[in-house]
Amino acid sequence: MINYNININDYKVVSPLSQCFEGKAAVYLAQHVPSGSMIALKKFNMDAIREDSYLVDVEIILTRQLHHPNILQYFISFVQGPEVWVISPLMAYGSCKDLLSQHFNDGLPEQAIIIILRDLLEALNYVHKKGFIHRAIRASHILISPLGKACLSGFRYSCPIIVNGKWQKTIHSFPSSTKPNLNWLSPELLEQNLVGYNEKSDIYSVGMVICELANGSEPFAGMSKTLMLTEKVRGCIPQLLDCTTIPREEGDDFSGGDCDISPKIVNRRFSDDLHKIAEICLNQESYYRPTAEQLLADSIFKTIKKSMPLPDLLKPALPLSDKVAYNTDDLEELKSLNNFSSLEIYSCEWDF
Amino acid sequence: MPLFGKSQKGPAEVVKALKEAVNALEKGDKKVEKAQEDVSKNLVLIKNMLYGTSESEPQTDIIVAQLAQELYNSNLLLLLIQNLNRIDFEGKKDVAQVFNNILRRQIGTRSPTVEYICTKPEILFTLMSGYEHQEIALNCGTMLRECARYEALAKIMLYSDDFYNFFRYVEVSTFDIASDAFSTFKELLTRHKILCAEFLEANYDKVFNYYQRLLNSENYVTRRQSLKLLGELLLDRHNFSVMTRYISNPENLKLMMNMLKERSRNIQFEAFHVFKVFVANPNKPKPILDILLRNQEKLVDFLMKFHTDRAEDEQFNDEKAYLIRQIKELKPLPGH
Repeated sequence: MINYNININDYKVVSPLSQCFEGKAAVYLAQHVPSGSMIALKKFNMDAIREDSYLVDVEIILTRQLHHPNILQYFISFVQGPEVWVISPLMAYGSCKDLLSQHFNDGLPEQAIIIILRDLLEALNYVHKKGFIHRAIRASHILISPLGKACLSGFRYSCPIIVNGKWQKTIHSFPSSTKPNLNWLSPELLEQNLVGYNEKSDIYSVGMVICELANGSEPFAGMSKTLMLTEKVRGCIPQLLDCTTIPREEGDDFSGGDCDISPKIVNRRFSDDLHKIAEICLNQESYYRPTAEQLLADSIFKTIKKSMPLPDLLKPALPLSDKVAYNTDDLEELKSLNNFSSLEIYSCEWDF
Repeated sequence: MPLFGKSQKGPAEVVKALKEAVNALEKGDKKVEKAQEDVSKNLVLIKNMLYGTSESEPQTDIIVAQLAQELYNSNLLLLLIQNLNRIDFEGKKDVAQVFNNILRRQIGTRSPTVEYICTKPEILFTLMSGYEHQEIALNCGTMLRECARYEALAKIMLYSDDFYNFFRYVEVSTFDIASDAFSTFKELLTRHKILCAEFLEANYDKVFNYYQRLLNSENYVTRRQSLKLLGELLLDRHNFSVMTRYISNPENLKLMMNMLKERSRNIQFEAFHVFKVFVANPNKPKPILDILLRNQEKLVDFLMKFHTDRAEDEQFNDEKAYLIRQIKELKPLPGH
């Protein structure tokens, strides 16, 4: 076990990896100098974060109180200038969203989805049992470790189930700053009515993630938020796109016209089990959705034993390693981005 | 979970078993692992009695009352908190959940656990010192904030010498612990308006002497949070006399005027909300008025250019316009 200390000189930034929190935080590939190991360094630019700075507290404090192999661990967090730095293990394949946008535009292979889904459910089962609802389950919050283990992150939107000293049957609070997550949220959460929602809301989002991983983008992507909500409330159940769900008539030409679906999608076929599991997760009525624990008992996960390991399934995607090119341009760009907010300096001198 | 769920143990037996296990853990003889396991197991049993599980409802009030009584009589709450660092990761969180549930117990309008803790304030002091230890700080924090909800307990904490340790805890280098300590600190200073106002008035010099250090902290987050809280405290009408005292001191005005010019936009903005109180005061003491007059033109000029991008924030813009008008109209006191 490596001991991570609060000493900025212990951490050498190698290259930027990604931005998150609507550009107010950035993740870097960095080296922990004393041990030589590669880690991920997340910097929250606190001066760019105004009213919702408490989200950073929520994310870090909660993540520090969760221990599970499928939850991204935060080793340590500290303040450095106007930034909060968080040290975590390097998730060498990036997020599932990165994988989709860089290598798998049409979606991941079924076996990869099943492995990621199992890990996600393991994490959620733990989170729910510990009394929290995640409320932001989406591919960009699922990270893949160098050995192909999926880890859940993004806990800043989560809420406790235990309120007023009691385990609540329903929750009514609406997550703040949740705009980027709306497409994944359950109809009952979005409706914000008296019925409220519970941890099954996360299960709906799991269904959305299955679709996202299979189709390459989440259902309702690019649609107006009002229409998305109307569709969900009306009971529209998103599907995995394959030859069984895309209607096909003789002579139809899918490569042209308005219907811009690649032949690869039209001709592929996901197993009935995967279709079924997505469908039950996306059930309109939260009562009929299984719990994470019940889902884990599904026979679909028995196939994992015989499956290739995830890294092989993710080829041609390769894990980041310390051999990654040192990209100074990107680094400079991010640096200037971070400093921008503090450029405004008032030059006047008060007369005391 | 047949391993734990099917147990027929009553409250007295579970409490006794837990106490024995904690004692064994404390002694640290060679059966530590076994003791730790027993502690965790019995904690889960108690937690399930109080909260229920996915398969079972919480226990009836009678059982919970028995359980609470056993916990008081055995002094187990204190023992658990004192040994929190020896309990495993999940067990620590279970202690907090058990504690928080028992604390909320009510019989009519009475809160028996609160009454119990009033007779054992050591529980509170042990929890407060939990911020000294990384591995239990966050667990102690959740329990402390539950305690702070009760005026009687908040009073014990505010009026103790240990309260001033918070000025150190909120500034520790580990962000999550500092941030957690700050929310407890804030809860203690704001939850019970009259209690807080009385406390601040009675201890004005000491508290603001310490508070000054937070405002000058090297730690950006501490500085920002404490400045924001200062604004909230001064603007709360219960704290009127504290506010009057604060805005009569020219040193405080100078500090805020300097913070208005800090590099950080958020700090500028929070400083604005304290600064405005000095200007809005209809009875400005002479030293305050003198500073404002000496900088009259510069201030107007400065405020005109201040955070002009916040066009959508109506309240802020109204306040800013009001301040500019007030400063423009400032005149020296007659006879000077």
